Amino acid sequence: MGILETVRKRKLFFDGGMGSLLVAKGLQPGELPETWNVTHPEVLQEIHLQYLRAGSDEITTNTFGANGLKFGSDGEFSLKRLVTAAVENARIARERFAEERRVLEDGASADVTCGAAETEPCAYIGLDLGPTGKLLKPLGDLAFEDAYKLYKEVVIYGAEAGADFVLVETMSDGYEAKAAILAAKENCDLPVCATMIFDKKGKLLTGGDVTSTVALLEGLGVSMLGVNCGLGPVQMKEILKEILKAASVPVIVNPNAGLPRTENGKTVYDIDADEFAGVMEEIADMGANALGGCCGTTPEHIAKMTALCRNKKQILPEEKNRTVISSYAQAVEIGRSPVLIGERINPTGKSKFKQALREHNIEYILREGVTQQDHGAHVLDVNVGLPEIDEPSMMEEVVRELQSVIDLPLQIDTSNIEAMERALRIYNGKALINSVNGKEESMRAVFPLVKKYGGVVVALTLDESGIPETADGRIEIAKKIYRTAAEYGIAKKDILIDALCLTISSDSKGALTTLETLRRVRDELHGKTVLGVSNISFGLPQREIINASFFTMAMQNGLNAAIINPNSEAMMRAYYSFKALADLDPQCGEYISVYSGQTATLGQSAVVGGASAGTSNAGVAGAEGVNDGSFSGAAGTSSGTGKAAGASAGIAAGGKSTAGSQSSAAAGELSLARCILRGLKEQAQAAVRELLTQRDSLAIINGEMIPALDQVGKGFEKGTVFLPQLLMSAEAAKAAFEVIKEHMSSKGESRQKKGKIVLATVKGDIHDIGKNIVKVLLENYDYEVIDLGKDVPPETVAVAAAEYHVPLVGLSALMTTTVPAMEETITLLRKETPWVKIMVGGAVLTEDYAKTIGADRYCKDAMASVNYAEEIMQKQPQVSAGRSL
Amino acid sequence: MDIDYRETVRYLGYKNQAADDAVLALVSQCWEELDCTASPRSFWREYPLTAAGDEIDAGVFQTRSRALGRNLRGCERILVFAASLGAGVDLLIQRYEKLQMSKAVVMQAAAAAYLEKYCDSVNEEIRQRYEADGWYLRPRFSPGYGDFPLECQTAIVAALEAGKRVGVTLTDSLLMAPSKSVTAVIGVGRTPLACEVKGCEACGKTDCEFRR
Repeated sequence: MGILETVRKRKLFFDGGMGSLLVAKGLQPGELPETWNVTHPEVLQEIHLQYLRAGSDEITTNTFGANGLKFGSDGEFSLKRLVTAAVENARIARERFAEERRVLEDGASADVTCGAAETEPCAYIGLDLGPTGKLLKPLGDLAFEDAYKLYKEVVIYGAEAGADFVLVETMSDGYEAKAAILAAKENCDLPVCATMIFDKKGKLLTGGDVTSTVALLEGLGVSMLGVNCGLGPVQMKEILKEILKAASVPVIVNPNAGLPRTENGKTVYDIDADEFAGVMEEIADMGANALGGCCGTTPEHIAKMTALCRNKKQILPEEKNRTVISSYAQAVEIGRSPVLIGERINPTGKSKFKQALREHNIEYILREGVTQQDHGAHVLDVNVGLPEIDEPSMMEEVVRELQSVIDLPLQIDTSNIEAMERALRIYNGKALINSVNGKEESMRAVFPLVKKYGGVVVALTLDESGIPETADGRIEIAKKIYRTAAEYGIAKKDILIDALCLTISSDSKGALTTLETLRRVRDELHGKTVLGVSNISFGLPQREIINASFFTMAMQNGLNAAIINPNSEAMMRAYYSFKALADLDPQCGEYISVYSGQTATLGQSAVVGGASAGTSNAGVAGAEGVNDGSFSGAAGTSSGTGKAAGASAGIAAGGKSTAGSQSSAAAGELSLARCILRGLKEQAQAAVRELLTQRDSLAIINGEMIPALDQVGKGFEKGTVFLPQLLMSAEAAKAAFEVIKEHMSSKGESRQKKGKIVLATVKGDIHDIGKNIVKVLLENYDYEVIDLGKDVPPETVAVAAAEYHVPLVGLSALMTTTVPAMEETITLLRKETPWVKIMVGGAVLTEDYAKTIGADRYCKDAMASVNYAEEIMQKQPQVSAGRSL
Repeated sequence: MDIDYRETVRYLGYKNQAADDAVLALVSQCWEELDCTASPRSFWREYPLTAAGDEIDAGVFQTRSRALGRNLRGCERILVFAASLGAGVDLLIQRYEKLQMSKAVVMQAAAAAYLEKYCDSVNEEIRQRYEADGWYLRPRFSPGYGDFPLECQTAIVAALEAGKRVGVTLTDSLLMAPSKSVTAVIGVGRTPLACEVKGCEACGKTDCEFRR
C-alpha cells in the first residue's frame, strides 16, 4: 500500500525538525547539513529511527539543501553520493524499526510487515526538495529552466535510491515550486506532495495567496498539499481554514515548534511539546489529513502529537467545484460573477499591433495589457499569431514579459501546440488556455498539456462536422468534450464551454442559439461558459451597440466569462450595470464608485476603440494645473498597480475626459518646446498636432523638439535639472515623436534612425535601471537601441554587436563584484568586433576604472552616453520619402 | 508610512535643492503605491562578538575590517539583521521601467527611503528592548560599507535563513534579490555612544553624489 492509500484510510504522520537535532549532535555553523549523510550516517539513522518510534509514518530525507549549486558532480560530497546516502540512511532506519517491531509483536500481527518490500512498508521515505536559495528570474538570477534542472538531478538520484514519494517543501515562491514539481513529475513515477510557507496573512513571500497557490499546485497534479515552516501551529490554523476551502486533495500541516525568539544566540520557541501536540489535535479535528512538524520540533513533539491524534477519524477534503485560474500574485475565480477577459492583445484586424509584433516591440504589447488592466480586465488574452513570425518564441517571450509587469492571470490563446506548451511551461500560475474543440485531433493535442501543466481550458462547441446550428448540437459537443477530458483526468470545473456566437448579420437566430446554449450548459450540464462576445455584431455598423446589449443578455443567461474589449465604455457599462442589477454588487458599491464621479451625459461619450496608453501621466498633468501644495490624492493614483483596477477603472476613464479638455486648452498657451521642458506628455501631443497643421515634421523636430531636449540635457549636466525631470521631458518628447511618426507614415514618409546601439547590463548584474534610463534618452535622440537586458553573458553581447554591426555598445554594471564581467565583455568585444566603440557606466565605475578595463568612454550619467553617441555617429536626422513603415 | 520627501529626493540626486511640484507629486504617488505593495519583513539574531581591532569574529562570520572594527569598538555582542520590502516592490519598479521611466526612478528612490525608514523603526524597537536591560546599540553597519567585505553576505544570509524568513537571497555576484533588501550588523555594548555618527556621516566616501 502506498502513501496515498494510507492517507485515504487514516491520519498520516510526518516527522519533525532535522536541523536543530543535527546542531545538538555537533553540526557546526556554516557546515552543510547534507554532508553528514556520508560523514555521520549513524546520526541520521538514529534521528529517523527516533521519529519512527515517535509514530511518524513518513521520514524525510536529509536533502533539503542538496542541489547542484552547493554540491558538485564528483568527490566525497558529490550530489549523487549525498542524495543516495540520505535515502539509504532512511531505509536503514526503517529496517531497524521494522525489526524492533517484529521483536515486540513477536511477528504475530501480520497486518503490517514492516520493511518488507513485497508488502506494506511501515513508513514512507519522502525525498526532500527544498528551495534552491536563489530567487528566480526576472527578479533574481536563476532561470526557471535552470531551477528545473537542479531539481531534476536530485529527483533522479533519489528515486533511483528508493524514495517512496517526493516532498517539495518550505517553498515561498510558487514559481520555484512549479519547477520542482515539474522536475519530479517528468523524471520519476513517484507521488509528489508540496507544502509552502505562508505568512500570518496567508501570503507567500513572492505574493501569492492560499487560493492561487492551491490552484497552481493542484493544477500541476500534486497528490497532497499544505503548509510548513514559518509559523507555529497556532498561527497555521487560519491558513489551514483557507486551504480547506480551496483544496480537493489531502492536506498536510507541518508547523514549527511555535514562534521563535532568540536567547543568547539560540533560537527558542514560545510553546512546548505538550502545547504543540494540543494544538495539533485541534488541527487534526479541523480536517488536516497529514500532520508533522518543522523547525524546532523533535521526536518528543511528534510522539505527543501522534498519541493525541492517532485515532482521529480521517475526513478527506471534498472535491471543490471551483473554477480557478491564477497569476503569481492572485487567483481569479470564474463563477457566478462574470469575469472579464481583455481581448486586445491580438493582432487580428489591428495593423499597429501587427507592426509591433514584426518590429518586436514588446513595450507596445505591455501597454495594451496595462491599459486593459486599468480599465478593469480580470484576465488578459494573449494571442501573438502572425504568419511571418516565430509564434512559439514570441508567445514565450510575451508571456514572460507580461507576467513580469502585470499581476493578472493570462489566457494563452493559440492554435500552435508548441507555442501553447512553451507558454504553459514558463507561466507563473494556473493559466486559462484558449482553446480546445470537439475534434479528436484537437483534444488529443491539448488535453495532455492541460493535465500536465494545469489550467482551465476554453472548449469550443464545434467538431469535425463544423459548428452546429442548434443548441442541441452544441450541447452534444460539450458533453463529448467533458467525457473525453475526464478520460485524461481533467475535471469539468477546469473546462469553460464556449457557446460560440455567429454574427446575426448572416444568421438572425445566431444570438438566440448562443443564449440557449449558455442556459443549458448552466442548467443541464452544470458547467461554466465563456464567449467571445463581439463576434455577434460582425458586419454591422456601430458594433458596440449590439455587443453591449448582447453582453447583457448573455450574462443574464449564465455567461461566466466574457472575452471583450474592456477599453470599451459601452461594454463596461453593461458589465457594471448587470452586476448591480443581478445582486452581484452589494449595495451597488462598485457601480457607485465607478460612475458617481462621471458627469458626461451618456449619449455623447461612447468610447470607441482603445484608450491611449498615457493614463499614468494624469498625475503629472494634474500637478501642472493648480497644485496648492497638497500632495495626497493626486490624480493618477488609479493607474497604479491595478489592485483596485475594477473599482478605479471608471474613475480613471471619467477623469480622463476632463483632463483631456484641460490639456487641449492648455496646449493653446504652451508651446511644444515648453511642454517638453516641463514634461507634459498629453499637452506635448496636442501641441505637436497643432503645429503639424502649419509646419512640416522636420521643421518641428529640428526647430522645437531637439532644442528643447538639448536645453533639458544641458540643465541636467549643470545640475539645475534632475533625473526625474530629464526623464519626464524625454517621455513628453517621445509622445510627441509618436504623433509625428504617425503623421509621416500617413504621408508615406519615415524618419531614419541615426544608428544602432547595443545596450546590456553585464553578466551577474540584475540591476538595470541605469541602462534603461540611457535607453530612454538614446531613443529620444533617434537611435535604435538593441536592448539585451540584464545579466547578459559576454558572448551574447558580442554576437549582437556583430549581427547588427553596431558602431557602439553600452555596458552597465552596478557592483564591484560585476565589474570583472564587464571587463570580460570588453575583451571579447575587442576580439570579435574590433570596430565597436564601448561606453560604460554604473555606480562603482570611475574614469580611471573604465580605462583600466579597456572601455573607450566612461559615461557618468545618461546624458554623457547621449553625448558620446552623438560624437561618434552622424548628427543630423534624415527624412526619406518612401513607403510607409 | 509617512512620506519622507527629503530622503526620496536626496536619493534622486537633488542634494539640498528643492524638487518641483510635479516630482513631489510623483513621490507621493509612489509612496502610496508602496504602502499597498510593500510587505516589509525583518529578522535578526544575536551572537557573541570577539573583536580585537580589525579582527572580528561575529560567530556567523569572521572578517578583517577597519571600518567595522571601529564601528564595533567596545561591543560584546552583535546583532545580525536582514530586512526586505519583498518581491512585489521590485516588480512595481520593473513595471514602471517598462512603462514610465520617470516614475521608475522615483519609485526606486522612494523604495530605498521606505526601506531605510522601515529598518530605522525596527532598529528603534530593538534599541528600546536592549536599553531597558542596560545595553547600548551601535549604528547599523552593512557589508560593503567601507572595507566591510561583501563576501560576508553569504554567511549572514545563510545564518539568518534569510531566504525563508524574509525572502532575501543572493545572486552569484552577491547582490541581494529582491533588490530592496538590507543586511546589517549592529554592535551591542555596555556603554552608550557619546555622539552617534551614522549613515552618510559615518562613510568615508566624501565625494559621493548622494551624500547628505
